[in-house]
Amino acid sequence: MSAALLSLLVPLFTALLLLLLRLRAGGLVIAANALSLGLAVMALSTVVSTGTQQLNLGGWDAPLGIRFELGPLTASLLVFTALVHLLVAVYAERSRHSQTRDTDFWPLSCLLHTSLAALWLSRDLFNWYVTLELLGLVAVAMVILSGPKAHAPALRYLLLSLAASLCYLLGVALIYGQYGVLDIRLLADMVTDDRVTRLALLLLTLGLMLKAALWPLHQWLPAAHASAPTAVSALLSALVVKGPLFILWMLWDNLAPVELARQAGVFFAVAGIAALISGGWAALRTPWIKVLVAYSTVAQLGYALLALGLLLHWQDPTLSTALWLFVIAHGLAKVSMFLAAGEMQATLGSRKVSALKGASQTMPIAMFAFAVAGGSLVGLPPSGGFVAKWVLLQPLFSQPSHWPWALGVLLGTLASAAYVFRVVAIAFDRADPNRPDYDPDTSAQWLAMLPALVVWAMALMSEPVIRWFGEAGL
Amino acid sequence: MTGAWTTFLPLALVLSSLLPGLIIFTLREDQVRLRISLNLLAATLKLCLVGVMLWGVDRGLSFRFAIDFLPGGGLVLQADATSLQFITLSAVLWLATTVYAIGYLENSPLRSRFFGYFSLCVSATMGVALAGNMVTFLLFYELLTLATFPLVVHRGSKKALHAGRVYLAYTMGGGALLLMGVALLHSLIGSPEFQPGGYLGPMLDAHRPSLILAFALMIAGLGVKAALIPLHGWLPQAMVAPAPVSALLHAVAVVKAGAFGIIRVVFDVYGVEQMQALGLATPLLALAAATILYGSLKALQQQELKKRLAYSTISQVSYITLGVALLGPLAAVAALAHLVHQGLMKVTLFYCAGNFAETLGIHRIREMDGVGKRMPVTMTAFTLGALGMIGVPPTAGFITKWYLGIGALDVGQDWVLLVLVASGLLNAAYFMPLIYRGWFSAPPAQWPEERNLGNGKPGLGETHWMLLAPVIFTTVLSLLVGIFANTELSPLAWSQLIIDRQFDP
Repeated sequence: MSAALLSLLVPLFTALLLLLLRLRAGGLVIAANALSLGLAVMALSTVVSTGTQQLNLGGWDAPLGIRFELGPLTASLLVFTALVHLLVAVYAERSRHSQTRDTDFWPLSCLLHTSLAALWLSRDLFNWYVTLELLGLVAVAMVILSGPKAHAPALRYLLLSLAASLCYLLGVALIYGQYGVLDIRLLADMVTDDRVTRLALLLLTLGLMLKAALWPLHQWLPAAHASAPTAVSALLSALVVKGPLFILWMLWDNLAPVELARQAGVFFAVAGIAALISGGWAALRTPWIKVLVAYSTVAQLGYALLALGLLLHWQDPTLSTALWLFVIAHGLAKVSMFLAAGEMQATLGSRKVSALKGASQTMPIAMFAFAVAGGSLVGLPPSGGFVAKWVLLQPLFSQPSHWPWALGVLLGTLASAAYVFRVVAIAFDRADPNRPDYDPDTSAQWLAMLPALVVWAMALMSEPVIRWFGEAGL
Repeated sequence: MTGAWTTFLPLALVLSSLLPGLIIFTLREDQVRLRISLNLLAATLKLCLVGVMLWGVDRGLSFRFAIDFLPGGGLVLQADATSLQFITLSAVLWLATTVYAIGYLENSPLRSRFFGYFSLCVSATMGVALAGNMVTFLLFYELLTLATFPLVVHRGSKKALHAGRVYLAYTMGGGALLLMGVALLHSLIGSPEFQPGGYLGPMLDAHRPSLILAFALMIAGLGVKAALIPLHGWLPQAMVAPAPVSALLHAVAVVKAGAFGIIRVVFDVYGVEQMQALGLATPLLALAAATILYGSLKALQQQELKKRLAYSTISQVSYITLGVALLGPLAAVAALAHLVHQGLMKVTLFYCAGNFAETLGIHRIREMDGVGKRMPVTMTAFTLGALGMIGVPPTAGFITKWYLGIGALDVGQDWVLLVLVASGLLNAAYFMPLIYRGWFSAPPAQWPEERNLGNGKPGLGETHWMLLAPVIFTTVLSLLVGIFANTELSPLAWSQLIIDRQFDP
């Protein structure tokens, strides 16, 4: 059996084991995750050496069987998912403030890992629906872990998620009625530019944008992500919203008629810039630490949306690389940021940004982690965020007629710099430092720092990765 | 290939302050001896490495370290004559400033953090100086911003935080513009290594608007750090930082990184011929001239010593830009030499201002009455530095102004002489009263806030020896580079060498 499938099955069986034995052992999950990460890395190395692989489950070919495809991007995302889950799991087990010890977090996070891995591997509209549904339900269940105060945002998340699923399902039904297949590769050859297809695409897009919290359908995200336990917030922002984005990218890149894609591209790109600015502005204004980080997710998804829009508008495949580099860099940076923010707010005893006064002294490592992760979000070299922005900027500058889009990127950069350094500047306020309620926990702070260091290390391997993505295609 | 050590020497120069900096972060506050030894060891080691490099370049060795980073633009650290000019200045002044900072911050809190960032800051400066292409330059330029911010807000007071926010707003904005400019250029031709005469010649006709926009973006980004108007607002605010940080901002690292970047962009990316063909020099020249006059006029209005010095920096650093923008060989020599001369003189003035403030509590200009009788050594250094700024022969400042003047005549921009004369008069107008007050006014019965740093007597014990030694050191250096300007070892001669390569490839 291929390493990729095993990497998917390990968290699935771990989750089942935990549920059956009524175990809530973090150590087991961490061990399983390490195994899953190792398998994902093996899968990646096979893809590097032999290229894209088709995995037909049960030996049946599409359209009868379920086809999994393991390409460069899918393999990278499997590694990314396992890595993020591992980092978060270690923090959740180790920190006093993770609010997840001995809770249902452990089986749920494994299920989340499984459904995302299945999503990355699938190439079939209905399969994606199943993974999306699973992902949404698990995510809602995880938000509720933090107790009654999260019930309202979680309920809203659930309702919107269900509405989005229905929308998506309707779109799938229309496509199936029209073409009789759901496999994305078969569809790509058959698809025509007619009304039903357009309507189906509209419904699919609406559902996916709602689930991925893409502007202007992002309203549910800040409350849900901010009220969840810290470890869950990290998983939600880093991983969950990226799943629907993947499907959206697959749909528009493969299925959409070129003329329609060009038009829709402008809409996506404008929405991306709007997300960058409005998300950045909201992050700058909010008084709560975790809401700030959550709004930053809304803003950063704007980069991905901008890359997607311009990719469609200009039909320029290099922008796919930019999109996915953004997603991976943002995921790692956001894990670090949420863990640091959660650790600081729990230790300092307040959820307000103003409580971080003097944090550069009282909790230097967590604050440094926040700043380092923030640096990647701003796009400071040599971080993963910088590399992604660089790849995005290249086609933007290639012709003078493209330059106005670069202005959007510039505004986004400035907005993200403003909210990141808003926090950093407060942390250096030594005049009236906020005393911690508990002894700061050094090792938990280092665990928050780790993903930020990984995202800066990404820059070291950026050249081969960019070349590989460019040559092998995603 | 001349062996591995020439490959790794540029990297070692960056690491020689980065690694000690990271170690210093982990030290406890009370590990004073260890911290001081690490600081001094790193500064001395760096100076030795710079010495080896100077010797090597003189022998014709080339130092180059490169790894992959982005397609079309790797991470390249290399030592050419221009970068050596800058790293020698930084390394020398780093040693002096480290000694000064140890004395200045004795018994104050958070020293591990301070010296940690201090070392990071110098590493970033080394990176800026050694950067072999625009991508690498951008990387270290941004790191420099990040490393200096904690130093600017080091005191942690409301005022310091405000200054820090202003500093960040300007420099992050500038960094974003520079990123845009570099990315635009990169999309056209990639980021090849710097070369005298520029590398944009072949694309001049096809991409005229792109090249002009890229130049404007990059100069705007660099102009923030080089404090060109209207982007200078952060520099006077940043004066709330401790004196060693001001020295770092004004002489060793930040302002210089901006000016150095302008030198690189004009000479080694665009090149003189392309600058002329695109008509980019005239706006830059006008901007530099306006900054020189504006800075001097504002300096005249300031009542606080450090603020006056800050506006003076704005004015003085623009001499470098002015010399670059004149696009003539003589003016260019003046620009490069002024990079060193201004650094030495300005660092001396800031050390002196710090000594006055620490020893006697003098912050405002009217409090300087009679300070020469209490602190004659510091006041002598201050006087020499100020005379250099005015441009009195044979100080270093005179040499650059002289070369700038003949450089301007040489390229037919006679009006620049008027700017130089006006600025010289203004310099005199804002420095002479200080010198007069210091030496000839009667000292007050009681100094504002006298502290017991030396033995309290005028002379070598007038303040803490660690505060006084760097002052004497940099004063002597700034006199030597002026007096011996015509020998082979001077910054002027070195600048001549760089410029000869630029104009006669």
